[in-house]
Amino acid sequence: MLSVLVFALLPLLSFKTVPSHGPAKYPISWILSKACSLKVNGSTNINKFNCTIPDYPLPDTLTFSKEKNTASIRISGAMVLEVKNFDCHHPIMTADLRKTLKVKEFPKITVTFISLSKYPEHDNENITGTVTIQLAGATRRFEVDYRFTQQNDETLTLIGTKQVNFSDFNITPPRKLGGMIKTDNELSVEFILKARILK
Amino acid sequence: MKKIILPALLAGTLLFILSYSVLYFGIRCFPELFMDYNSPLFNSDGNRDALFYMHPFIISFALSWFWDRFKGLFKGNFLLRGLEFGFVYGIVALLPVMWITFSALDISILMVLSWFFYGFAQALTAGLLFAKINP
Repeated sequence: MLSVLVFALLPLLSFKTVPSHGPAKYPISWILSKACSLKVNGSTNINKFNCTIPDYPLPDTLTFSKEKNTASIRISGAMVLEVKNFDCHHPIMTADLRKTLKVKEFPKITVTFISLSKYPEHDNENITGTVTIQLAGATRRFEVDYRFTQQNDETLTLIGTKQVNFSDFNITPPRKLGGMIKTDNELSVEFILKARILK
Repeated sequence: MKKIILPALLAGTLLFILSYSVLYFGIRCFPELFMDYNSPLFNSDGNRDALFYMHPFIISFALSWFWDRFKGLFKGNFLLRGLEFGFVYGIVALLPVMWITFSALDISILMVLSWFFYGFAQALTAGLLFAKINP
């Protein structure tokens, strides 16, 4: 009898329950918090670097609205970040990245959120979406993998990851000493959205 | 003139092979020593690569002329003459240039010392070659 009960309860016990924010009523607005960040990981032939814009001072809003007859969600809103706030945890690498991203000509990175495959509702849910990234004067559209987590009723986290190339933005990866030290073209970009729902 | 150009070309070729081999293997064996070259201080778009790789020939032509002009001042066998020539170049040219470089640019002492010894080794190598083929 006990084993039957345990067996019956097992599916319930094996999933973390998430505080629900109820049935979605569109449009839904998320207020981005200061804890939003952007990380860039890359490498040269002599080292790896990881650079972060660790916080986000602008109280921007993302608005989610439903596409007709599909699960996909349209988003309006963007993150606008200052290139000068990149910190690579090494002053020389920090200065070089800012120069590479042409901070004087193009001081901002803009991530514009276009759509999601579905509205995130469950903890550790993986979804996909579309963004445009404007960097160094070039704007490119990317498909992004997201992971959604919800710490409590208030704080929502959406982590988007994407492999991009310097060349996508018409940037030549830095090369020093006649090309003996070369930066790899590929970069891993991760943007972490921390938000709460506007009620 | 021939006494300057031929030794300069030979020394340039030798220094090109030695210098860039040392640099190539140095970067692979001791990458942490080259971290500072990621600085924006150093050209990064590749438009001066040709100039960078011409350096062994530039220094070889300069040293070849200098050797031909003053070789009478260096006494002893070819080994001693070549070494003294390298030391003279190190003290007269490299030391003051490295001094002002370190004082004016935000670079590490390790980087400046590596440039000093790199240039010094180039001058010794060229000096030994000149003493042998243009005594």
